[in-house]
Amino acid sequence: MAEIDVLIVGAGPAGMAAAIEAGKAGLRVVVLEQHQTPGGAIFRQAIADAPAVRIPPRVAAIRHELSAAFAASRIETRYGHVFLGIDSDGFVLAEDRNTGAFVTLKAKSIVLALGAVEKILPRPGWERAGVSTAGGLQVMMKETGRAPAGRVLLAGNGPLLVAVAAQMAALGNPPVAVIEAGDPFRRFAAGVALAAFHQHLAVEAFGYLRELRRHRVEWQRGATLQRIERDGEGLIACVRNSAGEIKFIRADRIGLHDGIRSNEFGLAPANARGPLVVHAGDCREALGAEAAIADGRAAGMRVAAALRGFTHAEPRELTRLRQAEAILSRLFAPVETAHPLAALPDDTVLCRCENRNVGELKALCGGADGLTGREVKHHGRFAMGSCQGRFCADNTAALMAHLRPDLPAPQARDLTGTRWPIRPVPIAALAASGVGQAKEQEI
Amino acid sequence: MQSRHLRNAVVIGAGICGAATAYFLSRRGVNVRLLDARAPAAEATGAADGAVSVASKRPGPMMNAALLGIRLYRELAEAGLLADLFKTRSTFIVARHDDECAVLEAHAAALSGAGVGAEILSQATARGRFPALAPATRMVVEVRGEGHAIGYRIVHRLIAASGLAVDRHEPVTRLILCERGQRIRAVETAKSRIEADAVIVAAGGGSGALLGLAHVLSPRKGQLLVTERAPSLNAGMPGAIMSGRYLMSKGSQTGPNGKPARGIGLVVDPLTTGQFLIGGTREDGGEAGSNDIDAVARILADAVALVPGLANIRLLRGFAGVRMAVADGLPLIGRLPGLTNGYVVTGFEGDGICLGPVAGQAIAALACGENSALDLTPFDPGRFDGLKVAA
Repeated sequence: MAEIDVLIVGAGPAGMAAAIEAGKAGLRVVVLEQHQTPGGAIFRQAIADAPAVRIPPRVAAIRHELSAAFAASRIETRYGHVFLGIDSDGFVLAEDRNTGAFVTLKAKSIVLALGAVEKILPRPGWERAGVSTAGGLQVMMKETGRAPAGRVLLAGNGPLLVAVAAQMAALGNPPVAVIEAGDPFRRFAAGVALAAFHQHLAVEAFGYLRELRRHRVEWQRGATLQRIERDGEGLIACVRNSAGEIKFIRADRIGLHDGIRSNEFGLAPANARGPLVVHAGDCREALGAEAAIADGRAAGMRVAAALRGFTHAEPRELTRLRQAEAILSRLFAPVETAHPLAALPDDTVLCRCENRNVGELKALCGGADGLTGREVKHHGRFAMGSCQGRFCADNTAALMAHLRPDLPAPQARDLTGTRWPIRPVPIAALAASGVGQAKEQEI
Repeated sequence: MQSRHLRNAVVIGAGICGAATAYFLSRRGVNVRLLDARAPAAEATGAADGAVSVASKRPGPMMNAALLGIRLYRELAEAGLLADLFKTRSTFIVARHDDECAVLEAHAAALSGAGVGAEILSQATARGRFPALAPATRMVVEVRGEGHAIGYRIVHRLIAASGLAVDRHEPVTRLILCERGQRIRAVETAKSRIEADAVIVAAGGGSGALLGLAHVLSPRKGQLLVTERAPSLNAGMPGAIMSGRYLMSKGSQTGPNGKPARGIGLVVDPLTTGQFLIGGTREDGGEAGSNDIDAVARILADAVALVPGLANIRLLRGFAGVRMAVADGLPLIGRLPGLTNGYVVTGFEGDGICLGPVAGQAIAALACGENSALDLTPFDPGRFDGLKVAA
């Protein structure tokens, strides 16, 4: 079999676009995708014959066009392959969930299109059973065609919350409320800019809000979820509204969301001696599906140009989409300007995997000796658990920076490090892989 | 324990040797500045297997040093300083093949002869003592009275107990000499110049450039793995497993085609968290970088062959580090030749966690004009020609 020219990890918008583009250049392209269908989180397809979730017409059109082009490109796509990292020799490592086998692939170039992950700010009680991410609930809806059951509260910050709420409402179980830290209605300048320059986003947003109004879902703006407590079998959310009043909302499930960030945890920077590695889409810069397609296309062109020896220009489209993202974040800027981690009680869990709390981090940061992010990981076990820091590295680094304003601010990467496997992998699969048995003689 | 001679000292390098030296100097009332090019335990100490062990040693200076190293850990644990950080446990050296049995038998005899508590276990005893062990082992030797310590945690504890704030990201560019080159007056960093009565170089790979030791020290990469927690499997392992092949893999490897080769000396250590630390490789040369699938797959295949239960759990992470090996296999511990107040403590290869504290204790004593339990004669840096301070 011919050597792989371009190995693309992830068949979301960026991965599909990169594959189509690299395929056009006549290169041998292989795509690895962890699920059984293309689309990624944003264009997640329904499982088997579950009904499809309604999405805005413009998004549907973009998805349809990309999916059709990807199908027509007949790019070799290996589904059920969970990416585990790139080793120090440049091998791409994956676990084939179809067979349980460990897979090792070599390619001339690698496009990492791993998408984004949701950011979650810790709040007392966020570690309780029944609390998940809002985006996770959304993906579940896309797969099953059903809204999550019971009383669902959505809380946090950003436009995704109203989108999820509207989709839940359309599927027959609107959330009990949406708690939003920002107040887009008070950000006139950003609202005007959105309507003027990115009309389709404004149209999409109004579509969601209309759906919420129709189902009488309360969108509490300028409000924050203070803590989550157990309430018999369910949960009770303590919410501070824009007037500063404390209200209690009962729910069976709570979906949290505080924005998105690149899913680049643990990935080593490109190695000059190894294959060309390009990050694409949300994995490079979290700007959403449309930008991911443009960026994926650019990544496909970039690796094709490098392998074929010609040059290409960076797309201008990204600038416009980056501006849209900036306007959205101004629009949704939290009303409360105090640091969201500053007032957390000491017993608030920061790292769920290792059960490490705010007080323990404060104790480590309190002495005269200014520990680095890596030292805090080693001595506090923050970001040391099985999620490899996905949920806590950002928050731990941010709280460290807040606690020690006179020291250089640590980054999430200082805590997570760069290493593989980026997710835990069964030892049986690795031990049975037979890799290297013949290569070198055991001493 | 106030020292009459030494008021202040600079220690270059906050790995286990530097941290231990700083600790024992501080205990004597010496004012210590502890500098590191990056941060404490950022290099070999932070990527070590943590063995505090004499099990693989042959009679000689390294065995003597290891026994003193273990004794010091035990004392510091009893004194409370390392009470929760030093896990006492046996090492079980396991032979899987006939060719290993003869080597292992001779090794057990040599350990016993040197007064180490080592015993060949019968098959039935081995199975009873070590339920997690694969049934198809040929010979098991239990080496008692050893332990395990996580390098970076020991460093953190020693620094905290010294009351020091480490000067991080402060690489030393040169040593400034005086008195016709016989005395170090100060060390120079990018940010400052620090005067000191004594200077201790404990900078691992960084020591090479500072002391003109590049021809003596060579890097050796090691790769290690950590699993998820598996408490019941962990409970079936009363100590670490060391493959009998470990005894044969300690030398430098010459590979085919001029490519640096490597040995795998398999060690599986049950950690107090319920996780397992599995190592490791010995690879000539190389930057730390990360792990390669070839090494990881081979280490895990070997580990599963000895502890079959490991096949049912998941690998959580891998890491790699570079330790410094000295040309003759013995570390450098002692006064720098030609200098009245300069010292070096480095080059422990895979023994840094075991020997770092006892070596740091010896250097602190030497700098204060006192004797120590560790005989430094075999480790004298003066045995190499051409040692030249970068001044």
